[in-house]
Amino acid sequence: MKPRNLFIGVIAAATATALLIGLAAQAQAPRAQVASMANAPSTKNPYTGKPEAVEEGRTIYNATCLTCHGVNGSNGEFAPGLAVAGRFYSNRSDVQIFNVIKNGVAGTAMPPHASRLSDDQIWKITAYIYGLRGTAIDASTPGDVANGEQIFFGKGQCSTCHMANGKGAILGPDLTSVANRMRTTAIVASLTTDTSRVLPPGGYQSYQLTPLDSWPSVTVVTVDGSTVKGLVRNEDSYSMQIIGFDQKLHLLKRAQIKSAVYDKKRRMPSDYDKRLSKTEFDDLLAYVTRLGKPNAAPLQVGGRGGEE
Amino acid sequence: MKFQGPLLGGLLFAAFCASSGPAAAQSAAQSEATLEKSPENWPTYSGDHSSKRHSPLNQINTANVKHLQAKWVYNVYNQRDMQATPIVQDGVMYISAFNRLDALDARTGALIWQYQRQPVSTGAQRGTTVWDNKVFVITGDKHLVALDARSGAILWDVATHDGMQITGGAPLVVNGKLIVSGNRGAPGGFAQGYDATTGKYLWTWSALPSKTDPEYKTWGTAEPDGAPMWLSGSYDRELNLVYYGTGQPNPQWNGTERDGDNLWSNSVVALDADTGKLKWHFQFTPHDEHDWDSVQQSVLVDAPWKGRPRKLMLWANRNGFYYILDRTNGEFLQATKFVSEVNWLTKMDDKGRPTHNPAAAPTTLGTLVCPSTAGATNWPSPSYDPDLKTFFLVVQEGCSNNFRDGKTGGGYVENPEHPWQLYTRALDAFTGEKKWDYKQTTSIRYGPGLLSTSGGLVFSGEKLGQLSALNAKTGQPLWNFFTGGVISSGPMSYAIDGVQYIAMLSGANVFAFALPDDDPAVAAASKRANGGGK
Repeated sequence: MKPRNLFIGVIAAATATALLIGLAAQAQAPRAQVASMANAPSTKNPYTGKPEAVEEGRTIYNATCLTCHGVNGSNGEFAPGLAVAGRFYSNRSDVQIFNVIKNGVAGTAMPPHASRLSDDQIWKITAYIYGLRGTAIDASTPGDVANGEQIFFGKGQCSTCHMANGKGAILGPDLTSVANRMRTTAIVASLTTDTSRVLPPGGYQSYQLTPLDSWPSVTVVTVDGSTVKGLVRNEDSYSMQIIGFDQKLHLLKRAQIKSAVYDKKRRMPSDYDKRLSKTEFDDLLAYVTRLGKPNAAPLQVGGRGGEE
Repeated sequence: MKFQGPLLGGLLFAAFCASSGPAAAQSAAQSEATLEKSPENWPTYSGDHSSKRHSPLNQINTANVKHLQAKWVYNVYNQRDMQATPIVQDGVMYISAFNRLDALDARTGALIWQYQRQPVSTGAQRGTTVWDNKVFVITGDKHLVALDARSGAILWDVATHDGMQITGGAPLVVNGKLIVSGNRGAPGGFAQGYDATTGKYLWTWSALPSKTDPEYKTWGTAEPDGAPMWLSGSYDRELNLVYYGTGQPNPQWNGTERDGDNLWSNSVVALDADTGKLKWHFQFTPHDEHDWDSVQQSVLVDAPWKGRPRKLMLWANRNGFYYILDRTNGEFLQATKFVSEVNWLTKMDDKGRPTHNPAAAPTTLGTLVCPSTAGATNWPSPSYDPDLKTFFLVVQEGCSNNFRDGKTGGGYVENPEHPWQLYTRALDAFTGEKKWDYKQTTSIRYGPGLLSTSGGLVFSGEKLGQLSALNAKTGQPLWNFFTGGVISSGPMSYAIDGVQYIAMLSGANVFAFALPDDDPAVAAASKRANGGGK
């Protein structure tokens, strides 16, 4: 069976299951609840966000699941990738993922693993998959974190533009909590390709005002003859807000600007997989995917926090 | 400086703004920026640490304020009824809430960067402060955060000492110390000091005495409770003292078991900025049973008093009296009534100590109390014009019926025969005598704070959305603008490239006003800023 057909099969099976459960629930709600509880020893994964357990989950996944489902959440040869951007997953919660691994998906090639894996191992795989779908902090990558920090502030020259935990420069986005905002795959992409977009601090909410998320590099000549070079933080038809290579903010009205030339190439290098060795790259990634707070509250809108 | 009218003032204005350019000098470590020295910035809650809220800017003045127009509006998404005063440094405006800070281009309202910590909070928070390229955020999860004022990068993020929740008063930075305050829940109010550069914890001062303090005996048989501290303070650099007001003792309506003065409730306290040690206190309402927090602003003025120059503190209190104290030692100098009806005391001695009127104590059936518990004035800021020697404040006339229910219950309602009405009122700063009133037709308690300027103006919001510019000498309205949202905070003023702005929050919107581009003063300033006319 081709992966595409398999995927449709998964959806069909899931839909059918949902329908059946729905019908059963209508008829005998209490019994249906008991039945689903029997498959799930716990409603919350004890390992979510625990780096060692997530690492063990990765190891078990790589030994058990990778052949069909692919590496690091990307599409596999025989089965869908488990953390592909833009894809909708009908099994999303801890318990749903746990149940799929343990019991398989009827009518598809996904077999039950109850006889091959312990509940404990399944929870670890679940934490790993959950982490792949979350931001980097949920599944920080393996490597020498201390060496990664040295590369960040040294050979990698990251801190000549970026700040982390109050150290570094203010030109590029602050990376103090980047692992709470970006997935590992997005961080890798921003280090190795020049097409990745940068999320603004605070997340991506188009229905509120946010600064530019592209951080374009610009050279501005003003009407009085001075030159400003830096990254555009915001602009409209009447003004520009630039954070200069001189580490100062430049707030300009268009009337003050004679010319503004955008660099076609982004300032952020995109060859870190080449300018660093494989080990150095992994170590840097291990450091960056830990920049943030484990188990931080997910981005949300609304609610009421601290007050007197 | 005597008020000299717009012409000379305009020259003064031109002199200071000639040095600023499109890339204004980024703030170095500001030793003690005052509005007199750098009127283009407003780096702290009250403009500067004297809390005069008087801007020396005079481009907008009595002659041209009728042309004042809105320049931009910025919506602080997800917030409501914001109470912050906008902060401006070097052309950047900082709007704060709990867990949130938006940095704007103060000329255009364009967002430069934004800090958001989860979860979103809409609790009342009254602003931030900028110091040495840092701007500070109070979080809802008992942390303090310092951000780089240029980029929003997180410089430090520390848990508060002892897990104290810092409340909505804007933080202060004085002598390199970040000063914050709050209400501990139980037992009560506190202030804390942190190293503003590193976030290192330094000290806590508790507004309630411990069992070993002699003041513990001022609470009768009750455990000290209350004295919340939820408003920003003032600071005297020479004395190195910070001044904060403290709130009411609890239970609010029944003082039977807390027999005594209940220190340090309803007081102004002077704390050493480096150690948090109490240098002196003055208690406005000892043994309060009317919920009269002394959470108002202390206005620090250096002026002659009875023939000799003194460091004064001006304080209009919720209990209906306008006090003048010596801020070096807390010595009481004078108190005058600033509302027409005051019945809660029978006399006040020459040390400022009142004798309560027993007939005004709350009862089960209700007692007439003047001023009302809402206060003759409340937390909205007053301002002081040094040229006119005038103190401007928000006043609420009227009385309440105050109730007591059991040991802890109680409350208050408006007395129908003494209805509540808010006014913007001008007092002679040294005699306390009323100069004029502006009736805030659309205000309900507690009304927004005030700003006075050397343009001879007082900017005065009304709770239900109207912003007015009043003639500081007469109270006559010269300009108004309806914001379409509730106004709970105070206006402020700043300047960029020689253009003066007035800014204020209404609802969740920031409004910035200035004169039209073709106004002669603005056009000349813009020409200079753009390199012409040199």
